[in-house]
Amino acid sequence: MQVYLPIAELSMNLFFLIGIGGAVGFLSGLFGVGGGFLLTPLLIFSGVPAPVAVASVTGQVVAASTSGALSHYRRGGIDLHLALYLVLSGILGAFGGVAAFAILRDAGQLDLVISVGFLVLLGFVGTLMLNEAIRAIIKQRRGVVVRERLPNQHNWMHRLPMRVRFKKSRLYISVLPVLIIGLFIGFVGSLLGIGGGFIMVPALVYLLRVPGNVVIGTSLAQVVAMMAATTILHAVQSQSVDIMLAFCLMVGGTAGAQFGASAGKHLRGEQLRGLLAILVLAVAIRFGLSLILAPADPFSMAVLGGAR
Amino acid sequence: MKWWLALMLAVLLAGTARGERLVSQLSNDSVEITSSFDGERMNFFGTIMPDAGSEQQFVTGPFHVVVVVLGPTQNRVARQMTNNFGVWLNTDQVEFDNFPSYFQVLSSARLRDITDITTLTTEYILPEAHTLVANDAGWWKTAVFGRELVRLMTEQGLFGVNEGGVNFLSENFYSARLTLPSNAPPGPYLALTYVFKDGQVIARKSEGFAVRKIGFERFLAMSAVQQPLLYGLVCVVLALFTGWLGGVLFKR
Repeated sequence: MQVYLPIAELSMNLFFLIGIGGAVGFLSGLFGVGGGFLLTPLLIFSGVPAPVAVASVTGQVVAASTSGALSHYRRGGIDLHLALYLVLSGILGAFGGVAAFAILRDAGQLDLVISVGFLVLLGFVGTLMLNEAIRAIIKQRRGVVVRERLPNQHNWMHRLPMRVRFKKSRLYISVLPVLIIGLFIGFVGSLLGIGGGFIMVPALVYLLRVPGNVVIGTSLAQVVAMMAATTILHAVQSQSVDIMLAFCLMVGGTAGAQFGASAGKHLRGEQLRGLLAILVLAVAIRFGLSLILAPADPFSMAVLGGAR
Repeated sequence: MKWWLALMLAVLLAGTARGERLVSQLSNDSVEITSSFDGERMNFFGTIMPDAGSEQQFVTGPFHVVVVVLGPTQNRVARQMTNNFGVWLNTDQVEFDNFPSYFQVLSSARLRDITDITTLTTEYILPEAHTLVANDAGWWKTAVFGRELVRLMTEQGLFGVNEGGVNFLSENFYSARLTLPSNAPPGPYLALTYVFKDGQVIARKSEGFAVRKIGFERFLAMSAVQQPLLYGLVCVVLALFTGWLGGVLFKR
């Protein structure tokens, strides 16, 4: 069954859209990430214009993260105070990201920046995660009791000026690294069409030492708020949010996420992190190859002016 | 002076004794894009008749008919990737202003059998003719990038030449069929019909039709442009609601 996408100005199969939304939603439920880093490249590969894909996926990420954020909120797993700081600086970063998006698109270098951005970010985060997960698995095989990280281990970042107390995270740290993380993720997220959950979680854990019980919830709450703001920014600035496309992806995504979350209960934490790391690295390698391998077609075309 | 008189005579003769006109019709003057839009089939009909006021009783062929369908124009850019120290980058680009977003040629025979290349180019019957415009990039780059742009548009199904797309049902009655693809951009379209005889254009006609979104699709596309803030807010509310509903429905 074909459905016409009024902003992308082409028609696509409804079941295909719900299907890829569901498949990516399953993975995002399994690993607790938004899934934008998989969905955006998939849509572009299926023929959706890149600006429409990036802008519409932001809407889908909001939906995919909402149910998770709500259930964490009911369990008290969100540090709202910390999330507020991250969201405010994130929205500021998103303004920069959306502006950079428009400039790069007109200069014809958007594809390059998206490829390099994905390669560097995913490669870096994927390597870190895989390394950490393998160590945890090896330790467990040897029977070593994995020591829980102490929440009050502070590093130099926390001693910067402007310290703020985050009660729920049991942290009394400088607000500067928090704002920089928010700004960076806001910028990168709106530029690449990703929620940034896979950057946010390691940043909260390793840099800010946020305790495990509030990391995922806070990250999800931040993703919901920031991606909601980014959707509106994209809608206002480039008018390339396709509500039909986003809705089809949302329906598949929210359903898939529930199955993914229940499947995730059968896997241990470090196994999950290891699998996610492999997935992230695979996407990074794919973007890396697209930079160095000769393209099938060295010529490409685009419409100037306007979103499409 | 002699050749001048000969020319006058020829013109006078052509004006009085000979003359054909084209009576043609489109199957639909608007193509409506609805939620299940999956392309649309269009038919072009026409008959070649003696011109009004000419002394001819009937027309004599053989005739050839070329139908050119043009979509709304856009400013397009063609880009080329080159290898720089092992990395493939977009390094060169040529802009084509007012380039048609859709271009299909239907003809009753091979174009080069109908007329010569000069006529095809000056009448904008060949896709490449649209790339032969003055451009800052210089003629060589314009030609190279223009050919690539036409190839890319052809791969998207937006450009095409169908030699044999026009069928003559009798000596002077033709019909042609065109399937507009689902990615045909909305906007005003132009169907130009040329009648050729002995390599010369003897009659021509242009008809317009519109491809437009109607109903809900039109409403969505309009509100995305006219009320972008509200549209964005609705998207977010829809996303939050869908996410919440998903969580409620699947909670065990």
